[in-house]
Amino acid sequence: MPIDLSSPSGAVLALLPELLLSLWALVVLLYVAWRHRDGYDMRTAGALSLLGYIFAVAATGWLAWRGAHAEGLSIMIALDGFRFASDALLLWIAGAVTILSVRWLIRQGILAPEYYPLLMLATVGMMLLAGSADLITLFLGLEVMSISVYILAGFDRTRRASAEAALKYFLIGAFASGFLLYGIALTYGATGQFNFELIGAQFAATPPTLMAKLGMGLILIGFAFKVAAVPFHAWAPDVYEGAPTPITAFMATGVKAAAFFALARVLAEVFPAMVALWRPVLFGLAIVTMLVGNLTALSQTSMKRMLAYSSIAHAGYLMLALWAHSDEGTAAVLVYLLAYSITTVAAFGILASIERAGARTVLLTDLEGLFAVRPFASMGLSICMLSLLGFPGTFGFIGKWLLLSAALHQGQAVLPIVAMVGSAISIGYYLPVVLAMTLKPTRTRQAHQTIRFPRPARIAVAICIFAIMLFGVWPNVVLNFASQKVVQLRQAELPTGPR
Amino acid sequence: MAAFLASIGYAHWVIHVLLALPILAMPVILFAPVKSARYIAFGVALTELVVGIGLWWAFDPTRGGMQFVTDITWVEGFGIGYRVGIDGLSVLMVLLSVIMLPLVVWSSWRGIDQKQRGFYALIMALNTGMLGVFVATDLFLFYMFWELLLIPMYFMIGIWGSSNRLYAATKFVIYTFVGSFMMLVAIIWMVAVVGRATGAYSFAYANLLEHADLLKPWGGWLFTAFALAFAVKVPLFPFHTWLPDAHTEAPTAGSVDLAVILLKMGTYGFLRFAIPFFPQFALSKTVGTVMATLAVIGIIYAALVAMVQPDLKRLIAYSSVSHLGFVMLGIWGSTVESVQGAIMVMVSHGLSTGALFFMVGMLYERRHTRKISDYGGLARVTPLLATAFVITAFSSIGLPGLNGFVGEFLVLIGSFGRYPWLVGIAATVVVFSAGYMLWSTQRVFFNRLTNPLNEGIGDLNLRELAVIVPLIAAMIWIGLYPGPLLRRTAGAAQQYVEMVQSALPKAALPDPGAPR
Repeated sequence: MPIDLSSPSGAVLALLPELLLSLWALVVLLYVAWRHRDGYDMRTAGALSLLGYIFAVAATGWLAWRGAHAEGLSIMIALDGFRFASDALLLWIAGAVTILSVRWLIRQGILAPEYYPLLMLATVGMMLLAGSADLITLFLGLEVMSISVYILAGFDRTRRASAEAALKYFLIGAFASGFLLYGIALTYGATGQFNFELIGAQFAATPPTLMAKLGMGLILIGFAFKVAAVPFHAWAPDVYEGAPTPITAFMATGVKAAAFFALARVLAEVFPAMVALWRPVLFGLAIVTMLVGNLTALSQTSMKRMLAYSSIAHAGYLMLALWAHSDEGTAAVLVYLLAYSITTVAAFGILASIERAGARTVLLTDLEGLFAVRPFASMGLSICMLSLLGFPGTFGFIGKWLLLSAALHQGQAVLPIVAMVGSAISIGYYLPVVLAMTLKPTRTRQAHQTIRFPRPARIAVAICIFAIMLFGVWPNVVLNFASQKVVQLRQAELPTGPR
Repeated sequence: MAAFLASIGYAHWVIHVLLALPILAMPVILFAPVKSARYIAFGVALTELVVGIGLWWAFDPTRGGMQFVTDITWVEGFGIGYRVGIDGLSVLMVLLSVIMLPLVVWSSWRGIDQKQRGFYALIMALNTGMLGVFVATDLFLFYMFWELLLIPMYFMIGIWGSSNRLYAATKFVIYTFVGSFMMLVAIIWMVAVVGRATGAYSFAYANLLEHADLLKPWGGWLFTAFALAFAVKVPLFPFHTWLPDAHTEAPTAGSVDLAVILLKMGTYGFLRFAIPFFPQFALSKTVGTVMATLAVIGIIYAALVAMVQPDLKRLIAYSSVSHLGFVMLGIWGSTVESVQGAIMVMVSHGLSTGALFFMVGMLYERRHTRKISDYGGLARVTPLLATAFVITAFSSIGLPGLNGFVGEFLVLIGSFGRYPWLVGIAATVVVFSAGYMLWSTQRVFFNRLTNPLNEGIGDLNLRELAVIVPLIAAMIWIGLYPGPLLRRTAGAAQQYVEMVQSALPKAALPDPGAPR
């Protein structure tokens, strides 16, 4: 279905998932302005917002099914399989986080149903970010996402850590936005264009000027902040630890995924001509990120902090796929982010159930002996840890294998080796979690008696765990989907790839 | 027998049944009543044995290459398949695994008194993993089985192990995982290189082996990655420190599985993957000398360390390191005799060390100590156990007439042409191994019965006899008449040696056609 993006009706059609979700966010906002007293209202708002995600998924699916593509130039928003795939992934994450939040918020005494519209708006921002075909849309999406998430990070406003997280995230985020905006301005200055395709074409035709190179560098830095790549990662542990746990899951998966989708698109469509310039940058970033993330995670005692550092390390792994700059790389980004997000959402879902109302975050020692009391929860968390570790038989392994393949097929062996060194280090902090839960005895008789695992969250987590195992041994569906031509980014020809 | 097996289509389903049965039994065991867990496990184990033992007849030693082959596409478009097969290198290992399974289950009958369901379920998972490693002919599948094995072993040591179990379990997993992570990069790298050159991406072992020439430029790196994984598992001398801990802390079943099967996965990996893929590098003068030297250091050093161990299990663990050194020496001797000898050592070490661990487990169940100094004079109260132990100890030392001798002798004569000095040094280990085995036997079973606690120890009961007697019978049989075993490995060893030698420049090796 060709869509003319220059006509208003075409634009509406192309933006249908985002528009539906925004409209529904407003509906939910109206509802919560009127009903915001008790747990019942919280639950209703949550259920309503789930409906919004379903609408958006349906709209995305419809566009994908009709084979929507831009007639002529992609103005402002991309219309390709990659956008639909990434939208589906982001919507899935948002829906899962909503399900995890419903009872958790009530239990923690956070009775403010504005949470859900904010989550929806953040999702709209993520979708715009991932689907942008224009530097302005890119920035717009980024800001819509970021501002919503700043608020969400501080949503548990009576807790100091949460407020601290919000402030830190806001300050660093504003800083990152500044970098990105400066980069956009310089790129615009160098080319006079905002549209990805047009800029890409111009760079391909004429060698990029210093201004363009600076612009690219600044844009990369902006993204590096958002995906928490070392050395732009310092905000992540504090923010992840302070934010409400479902929001931590959201930031670790959704925000990171959206930023990676956008970065993949920008690198593939805007700066393919400068591949020789940005590959070394990614190379360095990836190595430092993998090593620092994994090594720092080793010494963490708080589970959320540990997962924060591990998510930094995973950002490093993902850069292998971006470095590859190939169809395999795009497929790897999709599969890895799916595997990572399923695993991380499930892990945070289990951790959220272990958290006691108003208590400090879950420490590693709090998990001791969990298996005896909660065998299924602890088995689930063990499987999550193995999947994050990239253990064969789990989905995480399939993702990691694709990442390594993507880089190795481009003749790059150093990054995969460093990634595997990183994995080897990571066993040092994933294994103790399994060890504490299954092999150590409980500290006290009362341990783990306060765990509340509400049914919706339990079902969502169970589905995630099942998916981790299923796709771990039967990845055909996912792999075939991700390696279709239609979901790939438009990869410009490599000038001289080091084969 | 072969005709009967052919009439039931044995070759078509045997591997699948062997792999699937234990894993399917897992949930049954987990959700069955606690009391029946061990019976189900034993039933499954016996079925595995009955099914698997047919390989002895169905396997055709005169045919080279893989038999019982299955090749089913698993992940289309990525060249991953469920590819399995058995050849002369693996057939004895598979047989050893299925023979050990009922014995392992049976030996745990009394010793495991808590969390039985989990224990037997893990034994089942472990068995699928072990068999999978030996039958996989797809590198993706192989890597999966290889790593998946860690989980049951980890929990087996960590839950049912003795006092220092957490440390041992963690050490085991970290060593093995860290050792093998580079193997994944190497596997993907090989597939990428071969795939780019031939246009077909495939993880099939046969395909990669056929195009092994393409890998020559990176042979050193790739071999190192594989060798690291396998050397940790063997364990070769500087990588062996996880083994005494894991062996000592594991429950009897875990120790036996570790010694009998898991260690052989390392040497099997060298024979199957690391050397055939990169013979030019692996068998070059430098690498060969380094590996053989490490093997010999392991043989001597471990024997010396074993001599001073106060803990019976630790002593046997170090003796394993020493025996596996012989396997490594035989592999790098790369003559038909030495390779056959290596396989024979793998089998006979499995039998004798397995039996030793079983017997130490039986002693432990009676006295709850593994310290040699706590025992003494047991021959008076447990004559059967003492007899069995002495026979096994002799087999472990390598006394002619018992199984240990056959393999070690073949390794020594087979490797002499290539490493005369090293073989000369390695041969002296007979003195040391006699030293630690006989000395410890003397301190446990002979001397005076001074400790009154030892007076009440009962002799072997029927169940325990049923575990030990088959092993002892096998030891004597192999020692007196190794022909059937050698016949089954001869073809594969011959083929292997021809394959790796043809890849080498002439004169790199002495003539393999020494009189046999």
